[in-house]
Amino acid sequence: MSAVAQARPLAGFRIRPRPRTTELGLLAIVAVTLVVGAASLGATQQLREATEAGVTLKALDFTPPDPQGLLVYLGALLAVHVAFVLAGRRTDQVLLPTAAMLGGIGLLLMQRLPQDLVTQSFGGTQLGLGQLQLAWLLVALTVVATLAIAVRSDAWLRTYKYTWAAAGIGLLLLVFVFGSESNGARLSLSIGPVSGQPSELLKVILVVFLAGYLSENRALLAEESTRIGPITLPPLPYLAPMVAMWAIALGIVVVQKDLGAALLFFAVFLGLLYIATGRPSYVVGGLILFVAGAFVLYNLFGHVHARVDNWLNPWADPQGAGFQVVQALYAFGRGGVLGVGLGAGLPLIGGHLPVPAVHTDYPLAAIGEELGLIGLLAVLGLYLVLVSRGLRIASAGHDEFRSLLAAGLALVIGVQAFIIAAGNLKLIPLTGITLPFISYGGSSLLANALVVGLLLALSDRGAEPPPAPRDRRRRFRGFRLGKVRA
Amino acid sequence: MDGFVIILWLVRLGFLLLIYGFLFAVARVLMRDLRAASRGPTELGRLVVLASPRGEPQPGASYPLDAVTHLGRDVNNGIVLDDPFASAEHAVLTYRGRNWYVEDLSSTNGTFVNGVPVEGLGPLGFGDEVQVGEIRFRLDRGRG
Repeated sequence: MSAVAQARPLAGFRIRPRPRTTELGLLAIVAVTLVVGAASLGATQQLREATEAGVTLKALDFTPPDPQGLLVYLGALLAVHVAFVLAGRRTDQVLLPTAAMLGGIGLLLMQRLPQDLVTQSFGGTQLGLGQLQLAWLLVALTVVATLAIAVRSDAWLRTYKYTWAAAGIGLLLLVFVFGSESNGARLSLSIGPVSGQPSELLKVILVVFLAGYLSENRALLAEESTRIGPITLPPLPYLAPMVAMWAIALGIVVVQKDLGAALLFFAVFLGLLYIATGRPSYVVGGLILFVAGAFVLYNLFGHVHARVDNWLNPWADPQGAGFQVVQALYAFGRGGVLGVGLGAGLPLIGGHLPVPAVHTDYPLAAIGEELGLIGLLAVLGLYLVLVSRGLRIASAGHDEFRSLLAAGLALVIGVQAFIIAAGNLKLIPLTGITLPFISYGGSSLLANALVVGLLLALSDRGAEPPPAPRDRRRRFRGFRLGKVRA
Repeated sequence: MDGFVIILWLVRLGFLLLIYGFLFAVARVLMRDLRAASRGPTELGRLVVLASPRGEPQPGASYPLDAVTHLGRDVNNGIVLDDPFASAEHAVLTYRGRNWYVEDLSSTNGTFVNGVPVEGLGPLGFGDEVQVGEIRFRLDRGRG
């Protein structure tokens, strides 16, 4: 067995720096872009204040609203880059700058919004929206760097997939029992002073489990079929997890009233099933289940009914239920093609924001108003880059588990961005999920940091090979039973 | 005041242009990457030798696989196995549709996938281990 050790040398933790020029170049563009954006934001805000006060400015002052905050963010990006260089892994060089650009645009947006929208005090110091978002971004960058540098083997994910699934379901049950309701949805879980939205974490766990399950049963799912008369169906025993998944999604809608998470989970599940098997019949079957489930939910549950009616005709009650939807559409309209400029959007109406949930559910409305259609398309393009990069990593994966994991992680970001963007634009009913990397919120930023960190770790071209397969004991027994010489 | 507005407008446009500059730079990186990936013939898979006590095949060697690759002790096989437990024509790896299969050619001592004996034809996934006698292989994705 000594040859085993020879063929699979353990990766040591030597420091062997490897330059990452592409990443550095892209990060430089990100830095310049964010500085210019912050300057335009600062100048716009000061111009508006002067106009409101009736003062004529002598010169334009391009000082950003929070220059230290921006510098800290850019410094942290550089630190992560240096850490990657020192670690010397041959990981992807596009993911970090793209996520950093989205995070930076989100940071500018949070610094631009009224700072008292969300406040939290730590030991006497009051932190506003922008500072809180910055703090969470720093934590998220730490998570990305840790995962991308430290995760060298995926055995801890692939071996314990059922444990992960159990943990995920446990988390879900905790929310069912102890969760607190906000905006009519039971989403957040408070443990002492820390509160979070477990469904964000759950999406990562779901992808890990699905990648493990599908990579193990892929051949069966892709080849076998059950024949009932003239109809050929996928193998029935292997349909059970699909139905279970559908039931869980329904459960989330009914108990948590969280339409967005349910939609995200089910879409990612169908996407991964299709990637693993290449059989359109699964997708068709899943869509039929989805339509049936949606129809029943619409007729049985008030909150689903309200959401859909609000989507079909928000002008039925423009001051009440439809207020946010209508105001967001107005915001997109005000923005036009080029936008009104960062910081020049509509001010408060009677002391209230026109779109109350602009920092969590509707950041795209703010981007559409202040950066216009052009800016909106650029942001969507950034998500497209993340997804295409993730799928590229998936197609270059060493084995099925890694490929499916990378594809699933890419899908999570893409589908989530699509659901909330389409909801903001009134293409589908609005569901309360966050816009990855841009929306305010610690849970969302951390979960998406996990996604990017794992993608980076999976993209390592010099990574150690996949671990030896499952059943060691059986292999040894088979070996000893070896019969006589041929 | 109008001068200020024009300067401010230019700065705002500059911000938007820079975001697109970033997207353009990224697109160039992606294109370069895709072109590098499309160069060279694509392999269907690779067989990596994990353990081979007698040194034939060499431990650590990796063989690019054709759609049909024969394994066995006979020199006419695609991959020759020097192992007392291997038959002359031991097993064959085939790529059909989108999947790899391993077929045991009625060998005396059998072929094992992840420690489980193959009966006739069995599916083989990337990352799976194939064992013939004391020689162990792993099926990997092809490079490029």
